[in-house]
This record gives sequence, structure tokens and C-alpha cells, in this order.
Amino acid sequence: MNQNPIDRTRFEAIEAYVLGSMPMDERSAFESEMTKDSALRAEVELQRENTLAVELGAMERTLKAMRAEHAGLAEPGSAGWTNYLKYAAAIAIVLSAALWMLTRPSANERLFAEHYTADPGLPVPMSATGDPAFQDAMVAFKLGDLAEARGKWSTLLQAEPTNDTLRYYIASAALAMDDAAAAIPLFASVAADPTSGFRTKAQWYLFLAYVNAGDIAKAKGMPFDDDPTYGERVREIKAELR
Amino acid sequence: MSDDEVEGFTYTPADHELCTLQPIPRIIVLRFSPPVEVRATDITTWPAWAMGLHRNDPASLRALYKQHFPAVKHSVLQNGGTDNDAQDMFQEAITVLWLKVKEGQFIPESDPGGFLFRVAKYKWLDVVRSAAHKHMKVVHDDRTSEVRADVPDDIEDRIVRLRGVYEKLDDKCRTVLDRFYYERKDLATIATEMGVEKESIRTIKYRCMMKLRAFRRTIAGEDNLGEL
Repeated sequence: MNQNPIDRTRFEAIEAYVLGSMPMDERSAFESEMTKDSALRAEVELQRENTLAVELGAMERTLKAMRAEHAGLAEPGSAGWTNYLKYAAAIAIVLSAALWMLTRPSANERLFAEHYTADPGLPVPMSATGDPAFQDAMVAFKLGDLAEARGKWSTLLQAEPTNDTLRYYIASAALAMDDAAAAIPLFASVAADPTSGFRTKAQWYLFLAYVNAGDIAKAKGMPFDDDPTYGERVREIKAELR
Repeated sequence: MSDDEVEGFTYTPADHELCTLQPIPRIIVLRFSPPVEVRATDITTWPAWAMGLHRNDPASLRALYKQHFPAVKHSVLQNGGTDNDAQDMFQEAITVLWLKVKEGQFIPESDPGGFLFRVAKYKWLDVVRSAAHKHMKVVHDDRTSEVRADVPDDIEDRIVRLRGVYEKLDDKCRTVLDRFYYERKDLATIATEMGVEKESIRTIKYRCMMKLRAFRRTIAGEDNLGEL
């Protein structure tokens, strides 16, 4: 078997064969090729095994989820324990309410939460040869692994400190992690760059980052009210800031 | 003592009746046709429970659980186990059944209730005989070899090996691969559910499977791949 990764077209052909979704005419040709190519046969076998491993893992996860549905009823003599749980639950509710009163978000934090939607990220192209490190981080970002994405992009930024795409997405990951302090200087640098394609979005997120950080003066001072995309929301938020 | 009995651990006809699987009132739309090898055996002639397992239909799993777990639970509780033990044994038995169905090793006409009961029983007897339970009274069972025939060592080894592969996947890979290969959703559906582009899901799937491929190549080596 080839030590290198197989390309996606080849992988998907093998996958289609293993899953039985390959059209009949293609399958005949594929099977004919397999008879002559031991490496292909090995790839097919490996793909079959890996698919089965995924299915088994997922099936067992499903089983675990079903377990609760069939959990045993309370054993005799457990009434005292049940009562104890009721009291504990009541105490927990009271404590939670008290904690919420102490830690409830400020009006500006609520305003931020109302208007903030994380950047959806860039499409991830198939080719792993273009910029695989950046794309790996983008995949992590899209799947919510923000710390991983931020770390990988930060490493890349050291080699390309002026790259506005990296600065914008590192800031986006930081803001999504509620780290407005780290996001603000990065968004600010992109927002100030008239050549950047991310400039307008960076201005919007910079504005929201100021709101999140409670820096009302800077948020209100941003000349962004007339932006055709974000202006209306900016004016609305500014009116509520205090 | 009949063939289906071990003292204190009996599979009765009543258990069997409890275990009868009812038709599943659910229409399942397949995205994939069955794998080539299985197609030859024409799974459309299989009973509903076997087709459901083969297609990873959660309703079939749930139905098996509902129909057959009570008998296993009763027996495990009767033999010093807990509800948790019963769940563990039953889930192990379901896994063996699932793999046998997937690989076409299970006779479709066979009764899943009897099979699940026997496998769970054998597994619980193994636990009971283990060092952790050495102080418990163990009932002699001269039918162990027959029970074990349902679960040959190679299928248990295979399950362990497959679990080891799955454990190599990180959460994001599992999320995508589970939905594609197990739940059999198409890329567009997965993309919509996850709020990303279809092309991204396609890429993630490819890269995750390449990670598994690299892992399998590492543990198997070039020469003994056929043993996997």
C-alpha cells in the first residue's frame, strides 16, 4: 500500500464501492481494476474496516444514550434518598438564584449577546496542498474548537505578521471565546487597513468588542453609523448603551 | 435441566415471548445501497430487526432494547448483579449481535432475544467468575462452551480492535463521520446541521478518514493488513 495519502477522488471512489453507492458500470470497471491491483484491494479492505469502526463507535454511543431510558426504577427503601435529593435540589435552586443575582450580565453584556453572531469562517477548499495549516485551523474554527484555531493561526501570524486574514480570524476566535481584550487590537488593525477585504466586518466586530468590554466611549466614538450593512444595528445599539 | 437452563440463570419460554420483536412502524429511506458483498445475500429477505441493525436504524436498536433487556436484567439481578451490570452485559451483547449482522454472520431467521440472552449470560458469568467476584457463589455451568460458541474470541478481538480505531478520532471527526457513515446523512444535510458549507464537510470527512488510514497503516504494517 502506498505510504502517501490517497487523493480525494480515489478515496471517494473506494468509499462509494465500500458503501455500495457506486454505479453498476463503474463498479464493474472498479472490480476489474481490483483484480489486477493488490494495493487497491488493500485500500478497499482498509476503508471497509475504518467505516465499520466508525459505525461501531457511533452505534455504541447511541446505545449509551439509550441506557438512561432503561435505567432501573428506585430500589425499595430508597424513599429517604429521594427525599434527600428533593431537599438538595431545592437548596441548589436557591443558591443558583443567588449566584445569578451576583453574577448576572450587565446591560451592555446582554446587548452584546443579543447582537453578536460569530463569523462563519471561510469555505475550506479540498486541496490540502494550498495552505493546509490555515485550513486545518479554519476547520477547527468552524467546528467550535476556538482555542485550537486561535493557536494555529497565531503560530502562522508569527511568520506573516501583516497578514490581515490571520489577524481578523484570530480576533474572531478570541471574541468568540469572550476574550474581547485580545480581539480589540487585532480587529482595530484590520479596521484601519483600507486595503483589507475584512475591513468592514472588522469594524463591526471591533464595535461589538468595545461593547463587550464595556468601553462605551470607544464604541460610541466609532464613526460607523452610516454603514449600509451594519449602520442600522450600530445606531440601535448606541442608543441603548449606558 | 434443559438446554436453555443454567441453575439460577434460566432463559424460559416466557422470556422468549417477552423478546418477540414487533414490526417497527417506521419508514427508513436508505442513502446507500447495501455493500456489495452483503447485497449478494439480499437483506430484503431478512427480518425487520436485522435489516434495521444493518442500516443502523436507531429505532431498531431501541426496539431490541425494549423487547429483550428485561429478560437479561431479570437474570443478572437474580445472579447478584445490579441494573448497571445488566445494562453493561446487554450492551456488550447488542454490540456482538450488531457486528454479526453487519458481517452477514448472523442467521437472519435466528431469534435475537435468545442470542442476546445467551451472550449476556455468558458475559455475566465471566464477570462473576472474575477475581472481583471471587467471594460470590458460582453456579457450575457445563454449557459454557456452547454459550461461547455465540461469541468466538475472534469477534471479541475484532470489536476491541475496531473500538481502538474509533478512539483515535477526535470529537470533530466523530461528529462528521458518525453522521455520514452511521446515521447515513448526506453531506448537504450534515453541512446544514453544523452551519458550514457542504464542501467543508467533504474536506473534514476526507481528512479524518486519512488520519484513520495513517493510524491503521501504523499499527498494521504493510504485510499483515489482511489480518485487520
